[in-house]
Amino acid sequence: MRLRVSGQQTGHEYNLQDVMDGDFGKSGLPKGDILNAFVEAIIERDLSKISVARSAIISSMGIKALVDSAATVAAFNAYPRMADATGIPLEDNKKEMTSEMRKEFGMERLRFEE
Amino acid sequence: MVYKFQSEQVPVRGDLSSALDRAYRQIGQAGSWLNGKQRRAIFAETRYSWDCSLCQSRKFEPSPYSILGNHQTRGNLPAAWLDVIYRVVTDPGRLSERWFQEALSGDLLEDEFVEIISICVQALAIDIFTNAVGMELPPLPMVEEGHPSRSRAPEAKSGPGWVATIAPEDAGPDFSNFYANDSHFYIRRSLTLVKEETKRLWDLLNHLYLEGPRLFELEGLDRGISRAQMEYLAARVSFLLGCYY
Repeated sequence: MRLRVSGQQTGHEYNLQDVMDGDFGKSGLPKGDILNAFVEAIIERDLSKISVARSAIISSMGIKALVDSAATVAAFNAYPRMADATGIPLEDNKKEMTSEMRKEFGMERLRFEE
Repeated sequence: MVYKFQSEQVPVRGDLSSALDRAYRQIGQAGSWLNGKQRRAIFAETRYSWDCSLCQSRKFEPSPYSILGNHQTRGNLPAAWLDVIYRVVTDPGRLSERWFQEALSGDLLEDEFVEIISICVQALAIDIFTNAVGMELPPLPMVEEGHPSRSRAPEAKSGPGWVATIAPEDAGPDFSNFYANDSHFYIRRSLTLVKEETKRLWDLLNHLYLEGPRLFELEGLDRGISRAQMEYLAARVSFLLGCYY
């Protein structure tokens, strides 16, 4: 949701379906492909892929971009786990704001078996 | 030798480096419900949980309850604590109220549960950050003497999720600043049952990400990527972890 809002404020339109699918050539985000490779390598915990993605970020975006990308990924390994571990629901206003988006991505159907 | 979240090759901005130093050091200190030794053990189990064969096998099952067994611990924390840590690290998208209730059905108190989650996510964030920027992982934090006060916040009430929390309207003078700047999001409230611990946790998170997520773009903040790039990374991580909060 924040990505869409950020795009509206800067005059960009980001395709959220492409973000969800990992198709960054089409997402419209600058350096999206490089950032995606970095995130995926970290989530896979693949050290050699992390090293390649790190070098790509440093050479095309600089060392500060590496630090802040790593920091953001680290933070967002915490927030979702805090939400999931405590069962907090989406706030009512966010539910309303994101109802179309949740329908679009089929999020309401995402449940797992116990 | 004291570990520093800073190197010549990777110049980390000062506020972030200091926040990482503080969070790392405080994990070895007494918290509100757990002592330094227990907190360090949680840090260690967070790190080891990735290699647990039970967790790895469960990933391929439609339900985490399809396979029963014991986690591959290297320490001696109680089984209920281990199941909290290992599931939060390796399978966060499938945590459920059943899992939460089962955790509390043994000897684990709700307040201890909250402190464990806080340490667990801080340990993860520290390890993920250092790995991602190419620094060596820090050793386990030093244990410092001290005793937890083990005193429950009387203003905490049930909800909005499974765990009791302190609502902004119930926060006393010692905690009202935590909700300053309209930061009343449920995610910020999620671990407030243990006030001092949640302050420590957010001291780290604010420097890793943003103190005021309502900010439009970065408005003078010193960051090496744009707001859109940050939100893109955030969305992608959450999606890959199976979290749709």
